Amino acid sequence: MELPFEVILGGWIATGLTLFILSFLYEDNPLFKLAEHLYVGISLGYTIVKTYDTVVMTLILRPILDKGEWSLLIPVAIGTLMLARYVPKAAWLSRYAFAFIVGVGAGLAIPRTISSFILKQVEDTVRPLLAIVPGDGVTFTYSLLNPASNLNGIIILIGVVSVLFYFFFSVEHSGPGKMVARAGIVFLMISFGAAFGYTVMARMSLLIGRLTDLIEFSDASYGRPTLWLSLLTIATLIVLSRRGSTHPPNQ
Amino acid sequence: MSFAERMLRIDRRIIFLVIGLCTLFPLLFPVGLPIRISAEVRGVYDYIDKLPEGSVFLLSLDFDPASKPELYPQAIAILRHAFHKNLRVVAMTLWVSGTGLADQIVSQTAKEAGKENGKDYVFLGWSPGGSAVILNMGQDLYNAFPADYGNKPTKGLPVLAGVQSLRDVTYAVSLGAGNPGVEAWYVFGKDKYKFELGGGCTGVMAPGLYPLLRSGQINGLIGGLRGAAEYETLIGQKGKAVAGMDAQSATHLAIIVLVAICNIFYFTMRRQQRRQEQMGS
Repeated sequence: MELPFEVILGGWIATGLTLFILSFLYEDNPLFKLAEHLYVGISLGYTIVKTYDTVVMTLILRPILDKGEWSLLIPVAIGTLMLARYVPKAAWLSRYAFAFIVGVGAGLAIPRTISSFILKQVEDTVRPLLAIVPGDGVTFTYSLLNPASNLNGIIILIGVVSVLFYFFFSVEHSGPGKMVARAGIVFLMISFGAAFGYTVMARMSLLIGRLTDLIEFSDASYGRPTLWLSLLTIATLIVLSRRGSTHPPNQ
Repeated sequence: MSFAERMLRIDRRIIFLVIGLCTLFPLLFPVGLPIRISAEVRGVYDYIDKLPEGSVFLLSLDFDPASKPELYPQAIAILRHAFHKNLRVVAMTLWVSGTGLADQIVSQTAKEAGKENGKDYVFLGWSPGGSAVILNMGQDLYNAFPADYGNKPTKGLPVLAGVQSLRDVTYAVSLGAGNPGVEAWYVFGKDKYKFELGGGCTGVMAPGLYPLLRSGQINGLIGGLRGAAEYETLIGQKGKAVAGMDAQSATHLAIIVLVAICNIFYFTMRRQQRRQEQMGS
């Protein structure tokens, strides 16, 4: 099946930019810089166009012109005050807009964040260490794989208390306190290890994604851009590396 | 210079090459390692699977092309499942730079499933305000999104019949690559408007979201490419994520081996240095 021209072109561009970016792993070079600058420029251009279309056209102009929603001019006026920062004599006007944003933002975020991330998490940490099951009476679940098990509840409680104690600097960490602080360090290390493990997994997933696309674009239906552009990238790196070696470094 | 010293000073590009080859070969010659389904991924799957036909399912694709390898397969798998269950799918994004990608994902999956835009699903696009959009949707969905991505007025769309705000959403899933994402949907959405929430995220974010899972603030979590592969296995449609799992396992094995070798060389060198010091004294 013959692919449309725009799909083939897209394949060539995606392959080229992927290879140019990956060429940084060998050394910094102009191909990488080209791809990097294109990425920044295109992302910014895309964001500006989408924001203009959605905000100015869809959410402001159309409702005002088509439906006569003139009340929208109030937020527009507050937003326009932000631009006063570019005029030194009128820059103070932008403070009203910032005050509005900071006030509303803090008012909305603070109670919700406290409720969601502090109170709910405290509630979860101080769960009963034994469970009452109708018919079975008081039970204790040992499964480490079940996050809600009683054993995990105890581990979390010990972890939270020991890590909090480790960051409690008003008391010298000696005697039994030293043991608790050490336990806190162990919990922190496990947490960092888990985070790092997941980070490695995520980064490898990104590499898998790019390599999957490169394999897809090595197909003859695309004109084998992976093959040709790999050769081009390797040749460019060789030329640049030779050119670099013929010029002595600046003293 | 000892062998251990030489190995520890090896050109890092050789390590890049080893990792690259370990990733490439399993992609070219897959072996099909088994995929175990975790309870957190099953949480999202089971909830969607039990929803009655016609329930309102909101999918927020809160990522941009930078996170495509991890979140694109998750989005495709969830949408296939939702369309298969004949749910009313309301898709949107809180990330302006991800609007085009999100549109492509939704339209492509809907086309595959033979679903009709406006009747079976709608892609609302992006609205400015980040987390504030969620609050706005909680008060009036039509105020936050007066028109869908194709500039069609949202009021009167059959897919949104009976939906006025987030309170009318049966289940929501946010596939987030950062902020605003899963946390914002909990803080400003579920906690306030009381709908059930599931999450999907990149591998980097997953450890930070596990506390929300344990406390029941989200009912399931799909973490990274691995989570996507599990979901693809659950719906029985193996895609890009499952194909990448062999490569992921091979790469992890290579990294573990490299870490172990480096440690062996490090301790060997330390022992040698101590011996030299003892001999010197």
